[in-house]
Amino acid sequence: MKAQADLSIEFCGVRFENPFCLSSSPVGNHAEMCARAYDAGWSGIVYKTIGLERSFNVVMPSPRLNTLNVFDKRFVGLQNAEQITDRPIKDNIKDLLWLKKNFPHKVLISSVMGYVDEDWAELAKMSEDAGADILELNFSCPQMAHKTAGYRTGQDFHAVEAFTEIVKKSCKIPVIAKMTPNITDMIPVALAAKRGGADAISAINTMRAITEIDINNFTPLPNIHGHSSPTGFSGPSVKPIAMRFVSELYNSKPLNLPVSAIGGIETWIDALHFLLLGATNLQVTTGIMRYGYRIVEDMIEGLSDFMIERNIQSLSEIIGKAAQKIVDPSEFNTRFQAISMVDEAKCIGCGQCYISCQDGANQAMIFDKISRKASVDEERCVGCMLCKHVCPVWDCITYKEVDTTKIRHAAIF
Amino acid sequence: MKKAIDTEKIKQFQSMREPLTLQAAIRESNRCLLCFDAPCSAGCPAGTDPGKFIRQIKFYNYKGAARTIRNHNILGSVCAFLCPVEKLCERACSVKALEDPINISGLQRFATEYGKHFQIEPLRKSEKNQGKIAIIGCGPAGVGCAAELAKMNYDVTIFEREDMAGGVPKWNIPEFRLPAEAIAYDVENLLSLGVDIRFNATIENNEAISMLLAEGYMAVFISTGLSVALKIDLFDNYINALDYISFLRSVKFDHNNIDLKNKNVAVIGGGSVAVDSAVSAKACGANKVYLISLEHLDELPADKGEIELAREMNITFKAGCQITDVNANEKIITGLKGMEVEWIKPENFSPSNVRKVEGTTFALNVDLVVQAIGTKPGYEISRFHKSLQTRGKGIIEVNDLFETNLEGVFAGGDVVNAGSTVVQAVGEGKKAALSIDNYLKNRENKA
Ligand SMILES: Cc1cc2nc3c(=O)[nH]c(=O)nc-3n(C[C@H](O)[C@H](O)[C@H](O)COP(=O)(O)OP(=O)(O)OC[C@H]3O[C@@H](n4cnc5c(N)ncnc54)[C@H](O)[C@@H]3O)c2cc1C
Ligand SMILES: Cc1cc2nc3c(=O)[nH]c(=O)nc-3n(C[C@H](O)[C@H](O)[C@H](O)COP(=O)(O)O)c2cc1C
Ligand code: SF4
Ligand code: SF4
Ligand code: SF4
Repeated sequence: MKAQADLSIEFCGVRFENPFCLSSSPVGNHAEMCARAYDAGWSGIVYKTIGLERSFNVVMPSPRLNTLNVFDKRFVGLQNAEQITDRPIKDNIKDLLWLKKNFPHKVLISSVMGYVDEDWAELAKMSEDAGADILELNFSCPQMAHKTAGYRTGQDFHAVEAFTEIVKKSCKIPVIAKMTPNITDMIPVALAAKRGGADAISAINTMRAITEIDINNFTPLPNIHGHSSPTGFSGPSVKPIAMRFVSELYNSKPLNLPVSAIGGIETWIDALHFLLLGATNLQVTTGIMRYGYRIVEDMIEGLSDFMIERNIQSLSEIIGKAAQKIVDPSEFNTRFQAISMVDEAKCIGCGQCYISCQDGANQAMIFDKISRKASVDEERCVGCMLCKHVCPVWDCITYKEVDTTKIRHAAIF
Repeated sequence: MKKAIDTEKIKQFQSMREPLTLQAAIRESNRCLLCFDAPCSAGCPAGTDPGKFIRQIKFYNYKGAARTIRNHNILGSVCAFLCPVEKLCERACSVKALEDPINISGLQRFATEYGKHFQIEPLRKSEKNQGKIAIIGCGPAGVGCAAELAKMNYDVTIFEREDMAGGVPKWNIPEFRLPAEAIAYDVENLLSLGVDIRFNATIENNEAISMLLAEGYMAVFISTGLSVALKIDLFDNYINALDYISFLRSVKFDHNNIDLKNKNVAVIGGGSVAVDSAVSAKACGANKVYLISLEHLDELPADKGEIELAREMNITFKAGCQITDVNANEKIITGLKGMEVEWIKPENFSPSNVRKVEGTTFALNVDLVVQAIGTKPGYEISRFHKSLQTRGKGIIEVNDLFETNLEGVFAGGDVVNAGSTVVQAVGEGKKAALSIDNYLKNRENKA
């Protein structure tokens, strides 16, 4: 009944019917869940990270989740204290086999984490034999804080390079290295993975963070029998950080590898943001934990409509289009200056712009208590647009360009 | 808060409802819990699936929301204005246990408006290779049935007495409640499915159904609604005592020629149609408008929103009253006399169950009386076919599958349920379409 745009992408030489994949986490814990995700419309799955029992004896803590709530908005971020899978390797391999057999046209990605060289080699081989199309190397779990595993590996360039190299030698399928954001600069780590032979980079895994303290017993949450730890933080709150990393990966000339973006994707607009910053492939966990696999329907339909409206034939036409516009702050064109404008007819007279400008900007907002209308003192306004962001009427405050011969500074009395 | 009802608009014969802004739609959709097995969806008689379209709005998939509504309910725009949601989808809303339910019809109006404004692709006309079906009456039930059959590739012809589609919503429901554009848009969608509508085609010959079946129509769906208003004997023979069907129709299509300035109007009845009539009289400039009902204020069948609307429009309630006598100048009523009444037996709101209260006589000067006490089918239904089974005042008898007692003949909407809602009629039409398809497939298998 409706025209559907071509959302297919090629990533690591593999065709995906759309860019939307599950990221490695409980949303892809076992075959039955993955099958439902495929049926819902997800093109690929990064299966929950597998490891070998002989190296990791995983016992999950409980409770293991807490959320970041901001006033009435709950779940703007999710903190988890989960490790890699706690299922036996033979069960996971059986599930991978079953999935490839039953969903041959969908993409199956096996996420692995070893402890010593032999583990990485063995996991890579086992995954390939089970039918995985691609491997993802988990160099980034904040909770697997062993010396040579988890995010600590991801901070150690040599380990990343060495493990990637071992994996590449042990299998023929393409390899993605999954990065930790718990680092100042991701590029050197990604370059190390590239030297080891990685075909693509995925980012980000979770941020180490503390979401909340129980003020009754002074214990951070999740309260795991009296203790807690800065653990993996994900969801909409980390999206800005993920976007920064993704754009840096994409813009790095020496790196020049395709990027799979992860971090806070819930809607087609989030997806589009990452594509525009250079991602080819997209992965989701928290959005699914919060709303279910069904969110992919709206990602597909929304992105498809966007493409049809803009006459975009293929996503490759738009990948990286916004990343090209990222420059160093020193290169901004400051000859362009603007001031804010209030649409008096739309102003409802709350005075929030006044308070914010008064106490947090340049005292340039005028508020008439009789008419209850805000207006701008054009001489004082520096065009920071704080007022626009606090105004409850979304299209009430806009900005206009002004004469730039005057150099404007914060008010001096 | 912004007022939900804009009385100025009513006086200009325009829709009284402001569309939900994008900002308001985002906010409201984010209150929705996106329930599992959404109870609101189960509460919609036409299966419009609010649980899904609200989720689509929340995730910025506005066109998707518009498609969901249109694909599930061919009168999705009309319903978004007319549904008594507090009895349907919103009544089932889970949020009600915590705070106000989700404004479902507001979101439905937002999404249909969005789809119209940003022009979602028209519904597709499929190849009509499943055989011919005849539908009698192009109101909500007929339209709902036609759309569903057309999507299943049946070649559908609707026979309609009037010269435009839409039934009661088109002819009688005041513009302040339902803007004409809403019906126009929905009918356009119906036509894009490739349904053929024959206008000025009244079916009333008592061989009509047999003739249609003989002409190669494989099944017939009767959806002729209720088109004759019930009247009160007391007002017989007076030229200024109208029924609400003709009154509302002339206000809707000819309000420029209806001047009620300085005139007093008495509307008899206490239901929604009585309120619509009273408000319409006010919109035409009437001085005093009385709403006279046997039911007392707390017993009025009109719902809360409507009673509030009547109050906003300064309608005078004469609830718990009965008209006993008429003052007239030849054939023109000049005044009414009445008394307060009480019920003889409780909980039985029928005219035969009232007792007049001594010493409560009142008199009103009136220039126009509008009777809004109910409707019945517009003719002897048996005229369609002499053995079509009916009950009461000509309500057609059907089983759960909307089958009448005649082979290949189905019926739905007001003519079956004795008067309900637009969304109910659409739902019955849709269900009947599935039954027709099943019936024909079974018949084919047997042959
Ligand atoms: C004033 C008023 C206000 C209302 N307000 C609301 C509301 O706010 N919300 C709501 O949900 N419902 C409302 N309703 C009820 C709603 O309009 C009906 O339930 C609905 O229209 C029933 O649809 P239908 O298709 O069964 O019948 P109808 O709408 O009556 O349609 C029947 C169609 O059949 C045609 N027809 C009749 N006889 C023949 C014949 N012999 N040959 C060919 N064609 C024929 C008629 O011309 C008409 O087009 C209101 C009703 C009235 C009268
Ligand atoms: C409960 C939970 C468990 C996770 N487990 C894994 C894991 O086993 N392996 C892995 O690579 N990433 C794991 N992640 C990280 C996610 O795959 C993803 O990188 C991160 O959550 C950011 O994306 P999101 O905002 O869409 O959730 C986990 C995340 C969560 C919330
Ligand atoms: S914040 Fe917006 S609405 Fe409030 S006073 Fe300022 S301009 Fe007006
Ligand atoms: S069609 Fe009516 S009852 Fe159904 S969801 Fe929409 S407003 Fe509610
Ligand atoms: S029942 Fe209410 S809260 Fe639940 S999905 Fe429907 S509208 Fe949303």
